[in-house]
Amino acid sequence: MAIKNKILRENITSYIFLGPFLIIFLVFLAYPIFYSLIISMHKVSWSTDLYKVFSDMKFVWFRNYVRLFDDSRFWWSLIVTAYYAVLTIPLSVFLGLLLAILLNNKLPGVSFFRSAYFLPSVLDVLVVGIIWSLIYSPHFGILPKILNSLGIKTFTETGVLANSRTALPGVALAMVLRGAGFGMILFLAAIQNIPVSVYEAADIDGANPWQKLIYITIPLVKPIIFFLVIMGTIASLNAFTEIYAMTQGGPYVVEFMGGIQGATRVSGYYLFEKWDTMQYGYAAAVSYVLLFITLVISLVNAKIMRNKK
Amino acid sequence: MDVKKARERLRGILLITALIIGAVIMLFPFFWMIFVALKEPGHGFKLDFVFAKPLWNNFVAVWKNTAFPFSKFFRNSLFVATSGAFLTALFCSMGAYVFAKKNFVLKEVIFWMMLSTLMIPGMMFMVPQFAIVTKLGWINTYRGMIIPHVANVFGLFLLRQHMETIPDSLLNSAQIDGASEWQIYKNIIVPLSMPVITTVFLLTFLFQWTNFLWQLVVNTPDSMKLTLPVGLALFRGQYSTEWTLLMAASAFSIIPIAVLFIFAQRFFIEGLTAGAVKE
Repeated sequence: MAIKNKILRENITSYIFLGPFLIIFLVFLAYPIFYSLIISMHKVSWSTDLYKVFSDMKFVWFRNYVRLFDDSRFWWSLIVTAYYAVLTIPLSVFLGLLLAILLNNKLPGVSFFRSAYFLPSVLDVLVVGIIWSLIYSPHFGILPKILNSLGIKTFTETGVLANSRTALPGVALAMVLRGAGFGMILFLAAIQNIPVSVYEAADIDGANPWQKLIYITIPLVKPIIFFLVIMGTIASLNAFTEIYAMTQGGPYVVEFMGGIQGATRVSGYYLFEKWDTMQYGYAAAVSYVLLFITLVISLVNAKIMRNKK
Repeated sequence: MDVKKARERLRGILLITALIIGAVIMLFPFFWMIFVALKEPGHGFKLDFVFAKPLWNNFVAVWKNTAFPFSKFFRNSLFVATSGAFLTALFCSMGAYVFAKKNFVLKEVIFWMMLSTLMIPGMMFMVPQFAIVTKLGWINTYRGMIIPHVANVFGLFLLRQHMETIPDSLLNSAQIDGASEWQIYKNIIVPLSMPVITTVFLLTFLFQWTNFLWQLVVNTPDSMKLTLPVGLALFRGQYSTEWTLLMAASAFSIIPIAVLFIFAQRFFIEGLTAGAVKE
Protein backbone atom coordinates (compact mmCIF):
# COMPACT_ATOMS: atom_id res chain seq x y z
CA MET A 1 0.00 0.00 0.00
CA ALA A 2 2.79 2.41 0.92
CA ILE A 3 4.63 1.62 -2.32
CA LYS A 4 1.46 2.09 -4.36
CA ASN A 5 0.91 5.45 -2.69
CA LYS A 6 4.44 6.50 -3.49
CA ILE A 7 4.04 5.61 -7.16
CA LEU A 8 0.77 7.49 -7.31
CA ARG A 9 2.34 10.52 -5.68
CA GLU A 10 5.28 10.47 -8.07
CA ASN A 11 2.88 10.36 -11.02
CA ILE A 12 0.85 13.26 -9.70
CA THR A 13 3.94 15.36 -8.99
CA SER A 14 5.35 14.58 -12.41
CA TYR A 15 2.21 15.63 -14.24
CA ILE A 16 1.92 18.81 -12.19
CA PHE A 17 5.48 19.80 -13.09
CA LEU A 18 5.14 18.75 -16.71
CA GLY A 19 1.58 20.11 -16.98
CA PRO A 20 2.13 23.65 -18.29
CA PHE A 21 4.60 22.46 -20.92
CA LEU A 22 2.55 19.43 -21.88
CA ILE A 23 -0.71 21.35 -22.34
CA ILE A 24 0.93 23.93 -24.62
CA PHE A 25 2.74 21.16 -26.49
CA LEU A 26 -0.48 19.20 -27.05
CA VAL A 27 -2.57 22.21 -28.07
CA PHE A 28 -0.06 24.00 -30.30
CA LEU A 29 2.26 21.26 -31.61
CA ALA A 30 0.66 17.80 -31.42
CA TYR A 31 -2.97 18.63 -32.17
CA PRO A 32 -2.10 20.88 -35.18
CA ILE A 33 -0.65 17.86 -37.01
CA PHE A 34 -4.11 16.25 -37.04
CA TYR A 35 -6.04 19.49 -37.22
CA SER A 36 -4.06 20.47 -40.31
CA LEU A 37 -5.26 17.29 -42.04
CA ILE A 38 -8.87 18.17 -41.19
CA ILE A 39 -8.51 21.76 -42.42
CA SER A 40 -6.91 20.50 -45.62
CA MET A 41 -10.14 18.69 -46.48
CA HIS A 42 -12.17 21.87 -46.12
CA LYS A 43 -12.74 24.99 -48.11
CA VAL A 44 -13.34 28.50 -46.78
CA SER A 45 -16.93 29.53 -47.39
CA TRP A 46 -16.80 33.11 -48.50
CA SER A 47 -20.12 34.17 -46.96
CA THR A 48 -18.82 33.78 -43.42
CA ASP A 49 -17.50 36.59 -41.24
CA LEU A 50 -13.79 36.70 -40.49
CA TYR A 51 -13.89 35.58 -36.90
CA LYS A 52 -15.84 32.40 -37.63
CA VAL A 53 -13.98 31.49 -40.77
CA PHE A 54 -12.65 28.21 -39.38
CA SER A 55 -15.99 27.03 -37.95
CA ASP A 56 -17.88 27.66 -41.19
CA MET A 57 -15.61 25.79 -43.57
CA LYS A 58 -17.12 23.43 -46.13
CA PHE A 59 -16.03 19.77 -46.27
CA VAL A 60 -14.68 18.92 -49.73
CA TRP A 61 -12.98 15.54 -49.22
CA PHE A 62 -9.65 15.38 -51.08
CA ARG A 63 -10.46 18.06 -53.63
CA ASN A 64 -7.67 20.35 -52.40
CA TYR A 65 -5.12 17.59 -52.94
CA VAL A 66 -6.46 16.86 -56.43
CA ARG A 67 -6.19 20.55 -57.28
CA LEU A 68 -2.69 20.62 -55.84
CA PHE A 69 -1.64 17.83 -58.17
CA ASP A 70 -2.47 20.01 -61.19
CA ASP A 71 -1.06 23.19 -59.72
CA SER A 72 1.96 24.22 -61.81
CA ARG A 73 2.87 26.89 -59.24
CA PHE A 74 3.12 24.31 -56.49
CA TRP A 75 5.36 21.99 -58.51
CA TRP A 76 7.47 24.94 -59.53
CA SER A 77 7.82 26.03 -55.89
CA LEU A 78 9.18 22.57 -55.05
CA ILE A 79 11.77 22.87 -57.82
CA VAL A 80 12.79 26.32 -56.56
CA THR A 81 13.05 24.96 -53.00
CA ALA A 82 15.31 22.12 -54.14
CA TYR A 83 17.42 24.60 -56.11
CA TYR A 84 17.65 26.84 -53.04
CA ALA A 85 18.82 23.86 -50.99
CA VAL A 86 21.45 23.02 -53.63
CA LEU A 87 22.65 26.62 -53.65
CA THR A 88 22.85 27.06 -49.89
CA ILE A 89 23.83 23.73 -48.33
CA PRO A 90 27.13 22.84 -50.07
CA LEU A 91 28.32 26.43 -49.95
CA SER A 92 27.62 26.87 -46.26
CA VAL A 93 29.22 23.52 -45.40
CA PHE A 94 32.29 24.51 -47.43
CA LEU A 95 32.50 28.02 -45.96
CA GLY A 96 31.94 26.79 -42.41
CA LEU A 97 34.68 24.19 -42.75
CA LEU A 98 37.06 26.68 -44.37
CA LEU A 99 36.59 29.22 -41.59
CA ALA A 100 37.01 26.53 -38.93
CA ILE A 101 40.28 25.32 -40.49
CA LEU A 102 41.58 28.90 -40.72
CA LEU A 103 40.65 29.53 -37.09
CA ASN A 104 42.19 26.27 -35.88
CA ASN A 105 45.64 27.89 -35.88
CA LYS A 106 47.54 29.50 -33.06
CA LEU A 107 47.19 33.13 -34.05
CA PRO A 108 46.66 36.39 -32.20
CA GLY A 109 43.02 37.47 -32.10
CA VAL A 110 41.50 34.08 -32.94
CA SER A 111 38.68 34.47 -30.41
CA PHE A 112 37.87 37.91 -31.84
CA PHE A 113 37.53 36.47 -35.35
CA ARG A 114 35.47 33.57 -34.04
CA SER A 115 32.96 36.02 -32.54
CA ALA A 116 32.99 38.22 -35.65
CA TYR A 117 32.12 35.27 -37.91
CA PHE A 118 29.52 33.88 -35.58
CA LEU A 119 27.73 37.19 -34.90
CA PRO A 120 25.79 37.45 -38.22
CA SER A 121 24.13 34.08 -37.62
CA VAL A 122 22.17 35.39 -34.61
CA LEU A 123 20.88 38.49 -36.43
CA ASP A 124 17.33 38.87 -37.70
CA VAL A 125 16.82 37.29 -41.16
CA LEU A 126 14.28 39.95 -42.12
CA VAL A 127 16.68 42.81 -41.38
CA VAL A 128 19.66 41.09 -43.00
CA GLY A 129 17.48 40.53 -46.09
CA ILE A 130 16.46 44.18 -46.22
CA ILE A 131 20.09 45.32 -45.89
CA TRP A 132 21.13 43.01 -48.73
CA SER A 133 18.35 44.28 -50.96
CA LEU A 134 19.90 47.74 -50.47
CA ILE A 135 23.34 46.38 -51.32
CA TYR A 136 21.98 44.61 -54.41
CA SER A 137 19.72 47.37 -55.75
CA PRO A 138 20.05 48.53 -59.36
CA HIS A 139 22.05 51.66 -60.37
CA PHE A 140 22.84 52.78 -56.83
CA GLY A 141 23.43 49.59 -54.84
CA ILE A 142 27.02 49.25 -53.69
CA LEU A 143 27.56 45.81 -55.26
CA PRO A 144 26.37 46.69 -58.80
CA LYS A 145 28.43 49.90 -58.50
CA ILE A 146 31.59 47.99 -57.58
CA LEU A 147 30.99 45.45 -60.36
CA ASN A 148 30.28 48.28 -62.78
CA SER A 149 33.63 49.87 -62.06
CA LEU A 150 35.23 46.48 -62.75
CA GLY A 151 33.53 46.44 -66.15
CA ILE A 152 30.68 44.02 -65.27
CA LYS A 153 27.57 45.90 -66.33
CA THR A 154 25.04 43.03 -66.09
CA PHE A 155 23.54 44.26 -62.83
CA THR A 156 23.47 48.00 -63.49
CA GLU A 157 19.93 48.06 -64.90
CA THR A 158 18.20 45.30 -62.94
CA GLY A 159 20.26 44.90 -59.80
CA VAL A 160 20.86 41.36 -58.63
CA LEU A 161 17.36 40.52 -57.47
CA ALA A 162 15.30 41.63 -60.48
CA ASN A 163 17.27 39.35 -62.78
CA SER A 164 15.65 35.91 -62.87
CA ARG A 165 19.01 34.11 -63.18
CA THR A 166 20.74 35.81 -60.28
CA ALA A 167 17.81 36.45 -57.92
CA LEU A 168 17.87 33.14 -56.06
CA PRO A 169 21.68 32.85 -55.99
CA GLY A 170 21.67 36.41 -54.62
CA VAL A 171 19.33 35.44 -51.79
CA ALA A 172 21.36 32.28 -51.18
CA LEU A 173 24.66 34.19 -50.98
CA ALA A 174 23.22 36.61 -48.43
CA MET A 175 21.90 33.76 -46.28
CA VAL A 176 25.09 31.68 -46.55
CA LEU A 177 27.22 34.63 -45.44
CA ARG A 178 24.80 35.16 -42.56
CA GLY A 179 24.73 31.52 -41.46
CA ALA A 180 28.26 30.25 -42.16
CA GLY A 181 29.39 31.12 -38.63
CA PHE A 182 27.04 28.51 -37.19
CA GLY A 183 28.66 25.73 -39.22
CA MET A 184 32.08 27.14 -38.35
CA ILE A 185 31.41 26.85 -34.59
CA LEU A 186 30.29 23.22 -34.97
CA PHE A 187 33.26 22.28 -37.16
CA LEU A 188 35.66 24.04 -34.84
CA ALA A 189 34.38 22.09 -31.83
CA ALA A 190 34.69 18.83 -33.77
CA ILE A 191 38.18 19.57 -35.10
CA GLN A 192 39.44 20.47 -31.66
CA ASN A 193 38.18 17.10 -30.42
CA ILE A 194 40.49 15.27 -32.84
CA PRO A 195 43.54 14.07 -30.86
CA VAL A 196 46.79 15.85 -31.82
CA SER A 197 48.52 12.45 -31.90
CA VAL A 198 46.58 11.52 -35.04
CA TYR A 199 48.09 14.48 -36.89
CA GLU A 200 51.53 13.80 -35.43
CA ALA A 201 51.38 10.24 -36.70
CA ALA A 202 50.47 11.58 -40.14
CA ASP A 203 53.43 13.99 -39.95
CA ILE A 204 55.78 11.10 -39.27
CA ASP A 205 54.36 9.29 -42.30
CA GLY A 206 55.13 12.41 -44.33
CA ALA A 207 51.57 13.53 -45.06
CA ASN A 208 51.17 17.04 -46.48
CA PRO A 209 48.50 19.45 -45.14
CA TRP A 210 46.14 18.64 -48.02
CA GLN A 211 46.32 14.90 -47.34
CA LYS A 212 45.73 15.52 -43.64
CA LEU A 213 42.58 17.46 -44.53
CA ILE A 214 41.21 14.81 -46.91
CA TYR A 215 42.13 11.69 -44.93
CA ILE A 216 41.86 12.83 -41.31
CA THR A 217 39.86 16.01 -40.77
CA ILE A 218 36.96 15.52 -43.20
CA PRO A 219 36.19 11.88 -42.27
CA LEU A 220 36.21 12.84 -38.57
CA VAL A 221 33.83 15.79 -38.98
CA LYS A 222 31.36 13.82 -41.13
CA PRO A 223 28.65 13.79 -38.42
CA ILE A 224 28.71 17.61 -38.46
CA ILE A 225 28.37 17.64 -42.26
CA PHE A 226 25.35 15.33 -41.99
CA PHE A 227 23.83 17.50 -39.30
CA LEU A 228 24.30 20.64 -41.41
CA VAL A 229 22.76 18.94 -44.45
CA ILE A 230 19.67 17.96 -42.45
CA MET A 231 19.37 21.42 -40.88
CA GLY A 232 19.88 23.01 -44.29
CA THR A 233 17.13 20.85 -45.80
CA ILE A 234 14.70 21.85 -43.07
CA ALA A 235 15.74 25.50 -43.46
CA SER A 236 15.06 25.36 -47.21
CA LEU A 237 11.59 23.90 -46.65
CA ASN A 238 11.09 26.61 -44.02
CA ALA A 239 12.48 29.45 -46.14
CA PHE A 240 10.13 32.38 -46.10
CA THR A 241 11.47 35.49 -44.38
CA GLU A 242 14.48 35.99 -46.66
CA ILE A 243 12.24 35.71 -49.75
CA TYR A 244 9.69 38.08 -48.22
CA ALA A 245 12.42 40.60 -47.44
CA MET A 246 14.32 40.41 -50.71
CA THR A 247 12.19 39.36 -53.71
CA GLN A 248 8.57 38.57 -52.71
CA GLY A 249 8.91 35.48 -54.88
CA GLY A 250 9.78 37.43 -58.03
CA PRO A 251 10.79 38.25 -60.66
CA TYR A 252 7.72 36.64 -62.26
CA VAL A 253 9.14 35.82 -65.65
CA VAL A 254 9.89 32.07 -65.75
CA GLU A 255 7.72 29.85 -67.95
CA PHE A 256 6.91 26.42 -66.60
CA MET A 257 3.98 23.99 -67.20
CA GLY A 258 2.09 26.66 -69.12
CA GLY A 259 2.26 29.35 -66.46
CA ILE A 260 4.44 32.32 -65.57
CA GLN A 261 6.35 31.50 -62.39
CA GLY A 262 8.27 33.49 -59.80
CA ALA A 263 11.99 32.80 -60.00
CA THR A 264 12.35 32.75 -56.19
CA ARG A 265 8.94 31.51 -55.08
CA VAL A 266 10.01 28.73 -52.72
CA SER A 267 7.36 26.46 -51.24
CA GLY A 268 7.36 28.30 -47.91
CA TYR A 269 6.57 31.55 -49.67
CA TYR A 270 3.89 29.89 -51.80
CA LEU A 271 2.29 28.52 -48.63
CA PHE A 272 2.34 32.02 -47.14
CA GLU A 273 0.66 33.46 -50.24
CA LYS A 274 -2.14 30.88 -49.96
CA TRP A 275 -2.58 31.82 -46.30
CA ASP A 276 -2.42 35.53 -47.11
CA THR A 277 -5.23 35.21 -49.68
CA MET A 278 -7.32 33.29 -47.11
CA GLN A 279 -7.24 29.94 -48.96
CA TYR A 280 -6.78 28.17 -45.63
CA GLY A 281 -7.89 24.72 -46.76
CA TYR A 282 -5.58 24.79 -49.73
CA ALA A 283 -2.71 26.17 -47.63
CA ALA A 284 -3.19 23.31 -45.16
CA ALA A 285 -3.03 20.82 -48.04
CA VAL A 286 0.21 22.43 -49.24
CA SER A 287 1.70 22.14 -45.75
CA TYR A 288 0.62 18.50 -45.47
CA VAL A 289 2.38 17.58 -48.69
CA LEU A 290 5.47 19.47 -47.51
CA LEU A 291 5.31 17.61 -44.20
CA PHE A 292 5.18 14.33 -46.09
CA ILE A 293 8.22 15.34 -48.18
CA THR A 294 10.10 16.29 -45.00
CA LEU A 295 9.34 12.89 -43.48
CA VAL A 296 10.61 11.07 -46.57
CA ILE A 297 13.82 13.14 -46.57
CA SER A 298 14.38 12.50 -42.85
CA LEU A 299 13.90 8.74 -43.32
CA VAL A 300 16.32 8.65 -46.26
CA ASN A 301 18.81 10.67 -44.24
CA ALA A 302 18.50 8.35 -41.25
CA LYS A 303 19.02 5.34 -43.52
CA ILE A 304 22.14 6.82 -45.13
CA MET A 305 23.51 7.63 -41.67
CA ARG A 306 22.95 4.10 -40.43
CA ASN A 307 24.60 2.57 -43.51
CA LYS A 308 27.66 4.81 -43.13
CA LYS A 309 28.09 3.71 -39.54
CA MET B 1 66.47 27.41 -39.30
CA ASP B 2 65.92 31.07 -40.17
CA VAL B 3 64.21 30.09 -43.39
CA LYS B 4 61.77 27.98 -41.47
CA LYS B 5 61.04 30.81 -39.04
CA ALA B 6 60.48 33.25 -41.88
CA ARG B 7 58.13 30.81 -43.56
CA GLU B 8 56.15 30.39 -40.35
CA ARG B 9 55.90 34.14 -40.06
CA LEU B 10 54.77 34.57 -43.67
CA ARG B 11 52.15 31.88 -43.14
CA GLY B 12 50.83 33.69 -40.07
CA ILE B 13 50.59 37.00 -41.93
CA LEU B 14 48.78 35.36 -44.84
CA LEU B 15 46.34 33.63 -42.48
CA ILE B 16 45.55 36.83 -40.60
CA THR B 17 45.02 38.71 -43.86
CA ALA B 18 42.59 36.00 -45.00
CA LEU B 19 40.76 36.17 -41.67
CA ILE B 20 40.47 39.96 -41.85
CA ILE B 21 39.12 39.86 -45.42
CA GLY B 22 36.61 37.19 -44.35
CA ALA B 23 35.46 39.24 -41.36
CA VAL B 24 35.06 42.37 -43.50
CA ILE B 25 32.91 40.50 -46.02
CA MET B 26 30.74 38.79 -43.41
CA LEU B 27 30.20 41.88 -41.27
CA PHE B 28 29.86 44.25 -44.23
CA PRO B 29 26.01 44.34 -44.20
CA PHE B 30 26.11 45.24 -40.52
CA PHE B 31 28.47 48.18 -41.03
CA TRP B 32 26.70 49.26 -44.20
CA MET B 33 23.43 49.46 -42.25
CA ILE B 34 24.99 51.76 -39.65
CA PHE B 35 26.77 53.85 -42.31
CA VAL B 36 23.56 54.46 -44.28
CA ALA B 37 21.53 55.03 -41.10
CA LEU B 38 23.84 57.91 -40.18
CA LYS B 39 23.58 59.67 -43.55
CA GLU B 40 21.62 62.73 -44.55
CA PRO B 41 18.20 61.70 -45.97
CA GLY B 42 18.46 61.48 -49.75
CA HIS B 43 22.11 60.47 -49.58
CA GLY B 44 21.38 56.83 -48.80
CA PHE B 45 22.55 55.72 -52.23
CA LYS B 46 25.42 58.13 -52.72
CA LEU B 47 28.97 57.06 -52.04
CA ASP B 48 29.80 60.22 -50.12
CA PHE B 49 30.27 61.20 -46.52
CA VAL B 50 27.37 63.60 -46.05
CA PHE B 51 26.07 62.65 -42.64
CA ALA B 52 22.85 63.69 -40.95
CA LYS B 53 22.97 66.66 -38.56
CA PRO B 54 22.85 65.82 -35.77
CA LEU B 55 24.37 62.45 -36.54
CA TRP B 56 21.57 60.45 -34.87
CA ASN B 57 18.80 62.40 -36.62
CA ASN B 58 17.41 59.37 -38.52
CA PHE B 59 17.23 57.34 -35.35
CA VAL B 60 15.23 60.07 -33.59
CA ALA B 61 12.93 60.48 -36.62
CA VAL B 62 12.17 56.77 -36.68
CA TRP B 63 11.83 56.45 -32.90
CA LYS B 64 9.30 59.31 -32.77
CA ASN B 65 7.47 58.51 -36.03
CA THR B 66 3.74 58.92 -35.36
CA ALA B 67 2.41 56.55 -38.06
CA PHE B 68 5.03 53.88 -37.26
CA PRO B 69 5.99 54.40 -33.61
CA PHE B 70 9.20 52.41 -33.38
CA SER B 71 9.55 53.24 -29.69
CA LYS B 72 6.31 51.33 -29.16
CA PHE B 73 7.33 48.48 -31.48
CA PHE B 74 10.55 48.23 -29.50
CA ARG B 75 8.73 48.00 -26.18
CA ASN B 76 6.31 45.40 -27.59
CA SER B 77 9.18 43.30 -28.92
CA LEU B 78 10.99 43.56 -25.62
CA PHE B 79 7.90 42.42 -23.74
CA VAL B 80 7.15 39.53 -26.12
CA ALA B 81 10.75 38.31 -26.13
CA THR B 82 11.32 38.66 -22.38
CA SER B 83 8.09 37.08 -21.19
CA GLY B 84 8.31 34.38 -23.88
CA ALA B 85 11.84 33.54 -22.79
CA PHE B 86 10.90 33.54 -19.10
CA LEU B 87 7.89 31.24 -19.54
CA THR B 88 9.85 28.91 -21.82
CA ALA B 89 12.77 28.65 -19.38
CA LEU B 90 10.36 28.04 -16.47
CA PHE B 91 8.13 25.43 -18.15
CA CYS B 92 11.04 23.67 -19.89
CA SER B 93 13.03 23.37 -16.66
CA MET B 94 9.99 22.09 -14.73
CA GLY B 95 9.27 19.50 -17.42
CA ALA B 96 12.93 18.57 -17.80
CA TYR B 97 13.20 17.93 -14.05
CA VAL B 98 10.57 15.21 -14.07
CA PHE B 99 11.87 13.75 -17.33
CA ALA B 100 15.33 13.50 -15.78
CA LYS B 101 14.44 12.34 -12.27
CA LYS B 102 10.95 10.79 -12.12
CA ASN B 103 9.07 7.84 -13.49
CA PHE B 104 5.53 8.34 -14.64
CA VAL B 105 2.90 6.75 -16.83
CA LEU B 106 3.38 7.36 -20.59
CA LYS B 107 6.82 8.90 -20.07
CA GLU B 108 8.34 7.13 -23.09
CA VAL B 109 5.32 7.84 -25.31
CA ILE B 110 5.39 11.55 -24.52
CA PHE B 111 9.15 11.62 -25.03
CA TRP B 112 8.94 10.14 -28.52
CA MET B 113 6.00 12.32 -29.44
CA MET B 114 8.06 15.39 -28.55
CA LEU B 115 11.15 14.12 -30.32
CA SER B 116 9.24 13.52 -33.55
CA THR B 117 8.00 17.12 -33.75
CA LEU B 118 11.59 18.38 -33.67
CA MET B 119 12.17 17.47 -37.31
CA ILE B 120 9.07 19.22 -38.69
CA PRO B 121 9.73 22.60 -40.34
CA GLY B 122 7.89 25.35 -38.41
CA MET B 123 6.12 26.61 -41.56
CA MET B 124 3.96 23.47 -41.46
CA PHE B 125 2.32 24.55 -38.21
CA MET B 126 1.35 27.98 -39.47
CA VAL B 127 -2.18 27.30 -40.75
CA PRO B 128 -3.46 25.08 -37.91
CA GLN B 129 -1.85 27.28 -35.24
CA PHE B 130 -3.43 30.32 -36.85
CA ALA B 131 -6.80 28.54 -36.81
CA ILE B 132 -6.44 27.68 -33.11
CA VAL B 133 -5.36 31.21 -32.19
CA THR B 134 -8.28 32.65 -34.18
CA LYS B 135 -10.75 30.35 -32.43
CA LEU B 136 -9.32 31.29 -29.03
CA GLY B 137 -9.74 34.98 -29.92
CA TRP B 138 -6.02 35.62 -29.47
CA ILE B 139 -5.50 37.69 -32.65
CA ASN B 140 -3.69 40.98 -31.88
CA THR B 141 -2.70 39.90 -28.36
CA TYR B 142 0.60 39.23 -26.62
CA ARG B 143 -0.70 35.78 -25.63
CA GLY B 144 -1.22 34.90 -29.28
CA MET B 145 2.36 35.82 -30.14
CA ILE B 146 4.02 34.20 -27.13
CA ILE B 147 2.18 31.08 -25.94
CA PRO B 148 2.12 28.89 -29.08
CA HIS B 149 5.95 28.91 -29.07
CA VAL B 150 6.54 28.36 -25.36
CA ALA B 151 6.65 24.54 -25.62
CA ASN B 152 10.27 24.46 -26.83
CA VAL B 153 11.10 20.77 -27.16
CA PHE B 154 14.77 21.45 -27.91
CA GLY B 155 15.08 23.48 -24.71
CA LEU B 156 13.48 20.71 -22.67
CA PHE B 157 15.87 18.08 -24.04
CA LEU B 158 18.87 20.32 -23.46
CA LEU B 159 17.86 20.81 -19.81
CA ARG B 160 16.97 17.17 -19.25
CA GLN B 161 20.40 16.12 -20.50
CA HIS B 162 22.03 18.42 -17.96
CA MET B 163 19.71 17.54 -15.06
CA GLU B 164 20.41 13.83 -15.46
CA THR B 165 23.96 14.57 -14.27
CA ILE B 166 22.74 15.97 -10.93
CA PRO B 167 23.32 13.17 -8.37
CA ASP B 168 20.18 11.50 -6.97
CA SER B 169 21.73 11.39 -3.50
CA LEU B 170 21.49 15.18 -3.33
CA LEU B 171 17.75 15.05 -4.00
CA ASN B 172 17.21 12.11 -1.63
CA SER B 173 18.92 13.80 1.29
CA ALA B 174 16.85 16.94 0.73
CA GLN B 175 13.74 14.76 0.74
CA ILE B 176 14.77 13.18 4.02
CA ASP B 177 15.21 16.67 5.44
CA GLY B 178 11.55 17.21 4.58
CA ALA B 179 11.88 19.39 1.49
CA SER B 180 8.84 19.46 -0.78
CA GLU B 181 9.11 18.73 -4.51
CA TRP B 182 8.79 22.43 -5.32
CA GLN B 183 11.55 23.26 -2.83
CA ILE B 184 13.80 20.61 -4.36
CA TYR B 185 13.15 22.06 -7.80
CA LYS B 186 13.62 25.66 -6.69
CA ASN B 187 16.55 25.27 -4.29
CA ILE B 188 18.56 22.44 -5.85
CA ILE B 189 17.64 21.81 -9.49
CA VAL B 190 17.35 25.42 -10.66
CA PRO B 191 20.57 26.75 -9.09
CA LEU B 192 22.57 23.75 -10.35
CA SER B 193 21.14 24.15 -13.89
CA MET B 194 21.44 27.92 -14.08
CA PRO B 195 23.96 28.03 -16.98
CA VAL B 196 21.74 25.82 -19.15
CA ILE B 197 18.59 27.68 -18.09
CA THR B 198 20.33 30.92 -19.10
CA THR B 199 21.15 29.38 -22.47
CA VAL B 200 17.52 28.37 -23.02
CA PHE B 201 16.38 31.84 -21.91
CA LEU B 202 18.74 33.62 -24.30
CA LEU B 203 18.03 31.37 -27.28
CA THR B 204 14.28 31.79 -26.77
CA PHE B 205 14.69 35.54 -26.38
CA LEU B 206 16.52 35.59 -29.70
CA PHE B 207 13.88 33.37 -31.31
CA GLN B 208 10.94 35.48 -30.12
CA TRP B 209 12.71 38.72 -31.00
CA THR B 210 13.14 37.62 -34.62
CA ASN B 211 9.97 35.50 -35.02
CA PHE B 212 8.73 37.60 -37.92
CA LEU B 213 6.38 35.21 -39.72
CA TRP B 214 4.33 34.26 -36.68
CA GLN B 215 4.06 37.84 -35.43
CA LEU B 216 2.91 38.85 -38.92
CA VAL B 217 0.29 36.09 -38.89
CA VAL B 218 -1.12 36.89 -35.43
CA ASN B 219 -1.32 40.67 -35.88
CA THR B 220 -3.53 42.65 -38.22
CA PRO B 221 -1.80 45.81 -39.56
CA ASP B 222 -3.83 48.03 -37.19
CA SER B 223 -2.84 46.01 -34.11
CA MET B 224 -1.63 47.90 -31.06
CA LYS B 225 0.80 45.07 -30.27
CA LEU B 226 2.96 45.22 -33.42
CA THR B 227 6.57 44.16 -32.86
CA LEU B 228 9.76 45.50 -34.44
CA PRO B 229 10.05 43.12 -37.42
CA VAL B 230 6.37 43.48 -38.36
CA GLY B 231 6.54 47.25 -37.87
CA LEU B 232 9.65 47.34 -40.03
CA ALA B 233 7.96 45.37 -42.82
CA LEU B 234 4.93 47.70 -42.78
CA PHE B 235 7.17 50.77 -42.63
CA ARG B 236 9.07 49.50 -45.63
CA GLY B 237 5.79 49.10 -47.52
CA GLN B 238 5.19 52.85 -47.12
CA TYR B 239 8.71 54.22 -47.42
CA SER B 240 10.50 51.72 -49.62
CA THR B 241 12.93 54.34 -50.94
CA GLU B 242 13.78 56.10 -47.67
CA TRP B 243 16.84 53.95 -47.09
CA THR B 244 18.37 56.18 -44.42
CA LEU B 245 15.25 55.84 -42.25
CA LEU B 246 14.84 52.15 -43.07
CA MET B 247 18.38 51.38 -41.98
CA ALA B 248 17.94 53.38 -38.76
CA ALA B 249 14.77 51.37 -38.06
CA SER B 250 16.66 48.14 -38.83
CA ALA B 251 19.36 49.12 -36.36
CA PHE B 252 16.82 49.15 -33.55
CA SER B 253 16.23 45.47 -34.20
CA ILE B 254 19.85 44.47 -34.80
CA ILE B 255 21.89 46.40 -32.23
CA PRO B 256 20.27 45.01 -29.02
CA ILE B 257 20.91 41.46 -30.27
CA ALA B 258 24.48 42.27 -31.23
CA VAL B 259 25.14 43.75 -27.78
CA LEU B 260 23.47 40.80 -26.06
CA PHE B 261 25.58 38.45 -28.15
CA ILE B 262 28.85 40.17 -27.28
CA PHE B 263 28.17 39.87 -23.55
CA ALA B 264 26.66 36.38 -23.54
CA GLN B 265 28.17 34.59 -26.53
CA ARG B 266 29.37 31.68 -24.41
CA PHE B 267 25.73 30.74 -23.71
CA PHE B 268 24.69 31.09 -27.35
CA ILE B 269 27.57 28.96 -28.56
CA GLU B 270 27.05 26.25 -25.92
CA GLY B 271 23.34 26.03 -26.63
CA LEU B 272 23.66 25.93 -30.38
CA THR B 273 26.47 23.37 -30.43
CA ALA B 274 24.91 21.08 -27.81
CA GLY B 275 22.32 19.81 -30.29
CA ALA B 276 24.84 18.85 -32.94
CA VAL B 277 27.86 17.47 -31.13
CA LYS B 278 25.88 14.90 -29.13
CA GLU B 279 25.24 12.27 -31.78
